[in-house]
Amino acid sequence: MLLGKSLTEILALIKNKKISSKEVIDYFLRRIEKYNPKLNVYLTVNRSWKPDKIEVPIAVKDNFCTCGIRTTASSKVLENFIPPYESTVTKRLIESSFFILGKTNMDAWAHGSSTETSDFGPTKNPWDLSRCSGGSSGGSAAAVSSYLAPAAIGSETAGSIRQPASWSGVIGLKPTYGRVSRYGLIAMASSLDCPGPMTLTTEDAAFILKIIAGKDKFDATTTTNEVPDYLASLKKKKKFIIGVTDEYLNGVDEEIKEAFYQLMKILEKLGHKIKKIRLLPPKYSISVYTIIQRAEVSSNLARYDGIRYGNDRTFFGSEAKKRIMLGTFVLSYGYYNDYYKKAQKVRTLIIEDFKKAFHEVDMILAPTTPIAALKLGEFEKYPFFGELMDVLAEPGAIAGVCAISFPFGLTKKENLPIGLQLMGRWFEEENILNLTYQIEKETDFLGVIKKGLKNYPD
Amino acid sequence: MKKKALSKNDVLYLAKLAGLTLADNEVERFKSQLEETISYIENLNELATDNVLPTSHATFLKNVFFDDDEKNERSLDLEEVFQNTQNKEENCFKIKKIFDE
Repeated sequence: MLLGKSLTEILALIKNKKISSKEVIDYFLRRIEKYNPKLNVYLTVNRSWKPDKIEVPIAVKDNFCTCGIRTTASSKVLENFIPPYESTVTKRLIESSFFILGKTNMDAWAHGSSTETSDFGPTKNPWDLSRCSGGSSGGSAAAVSSYLAPAAIGSETAGSIRQPASWSGVIGLKPTYGRVSRYGLIAMASSLDCPGPMTLTTEDAAFILKIIAGKDKFDATTTTNEVPDYLASLKKKKKFIIGVTDEYLNGVDEEIKEAFYQLMKILEKLGHKIKKIRLLPPKYSISVYTIIQRAEVSSNLARYDGIRYGNDRTFFGSEAKKRIMLGTFVLSYGYYNDYYKKAQKVRTLIIEDFKKAFHEVDMILAPTTPIAALKLGEFEKYPFFGELMDVLAEPGAIAGVCAISFPFGLTKKENLPIGLQLMGRWFEEENILNLTYQIEKETDFLGVIKKGLKNYPD
Repeated sequence: MKKKALSKNDVLYLAKLAGLTLADNEVERFKSQLEETISYIENLNELATDNVLPTSHATFLKNVFFDDDEKNERSLDLEEVFQNTQNKEENCFKIKKIFDE
């Protein structure tokens, strides 16, 4: 009876006393027992629920500090770390009657696009166990896709919510930088990190964003902009001008392009206007991201000395070491101007590029990833492959704009989810959610989410 | 930008700066992977940036301060501070000696 029910639907059932919180939480714990050994979604399952509470479960990526619940960032460095404080995101969820069902697998320190850099083994793609669920929020994406949680929290630095959402066939919302507090989120690249929801429905994404968004005095980069009622504003029948650009179709798989053109037609039919625009080629964003992210990583990961908590630096995996070293290089004497400063200047060009585009259009439609989910083991072969999988997500992340990925059909031969994304103006999550909701109502995302759930019966 | 070929010593020096110990097979592997990444990111030279200001922040915030006399609610008590360490003596962290007598 519960299978596939959205978070908001479950809440309504609990409220109307059709089902109890205990039944809901036991239901998901049973499913986790059944499917987690196969999928490797959860690193820690929380069985400490107290029966007197009215709560709804949610899965949280293992880089959010949860007071009293082990938090590893999928690294052996933090294998036994029990945070003494609560991240703002999880604190707000708990205060809104959410129960943290468990902590989900990810690439170690969120360094990667496949969860294969996790020190606790990769998460399998629920659609095809020989493939990656994407990353770094691959555990959260797979948790939602296989219904081991009704919804999940992920975090994105450049693609880490949208790309796994796309590969696992769920919705992933990356809010504008500063819309959601980073306090207690284990820092990866602080000028880019954004927490966000991963869900089965647009309503759930809107509902969760409302709870976690807003000014936090513990994160100076959060905005004082008012938090709109995202859920209520979904129902407004807004009309938009939607930008599309050839720059985001280079090297994209033909079937994904077809899905993109199909959606363009549907949007026109719904009364929206499609407009061709020009944007800087995304390949420059890869370089900017590579430099800035590695630089911030080398600084953020300097704190892990094994003295106050965690294990020492010999416990870092290969990917973390490589990133720390490149970051150290681009910040070092003699190279700082050539690399780090140059990257920050190009970042300015990318921001200006988006500003210009958003004078002409309300949002931009593009594929989320150039290809559908890859086989496990592919990433290791190329040092740069992860960035290439995130190429269409990186420009928006660098500019700090909001973006949402949603499923739109399956590839024919391999039956894998295709993801498309909408990028919106800074702090206009309302609009990208509104259009995603219109697409959901019109097309049901071509049935992807329901088909995915069929593979995971109770 | 200078075209950069890294030597084995460059890699070891970076590791030393970053406080990392590398296995022998990692030195060679990282050297070639770092070189490959560095040659890719040189595509930024295709863009003119002479009169462009570097980004300090992507979302247009200015001067964010705490109010005077605001209490820092983030501080932890002693038990919380030491709960994740084995390097404790009285109320101090034990570290390796960094100065000689």
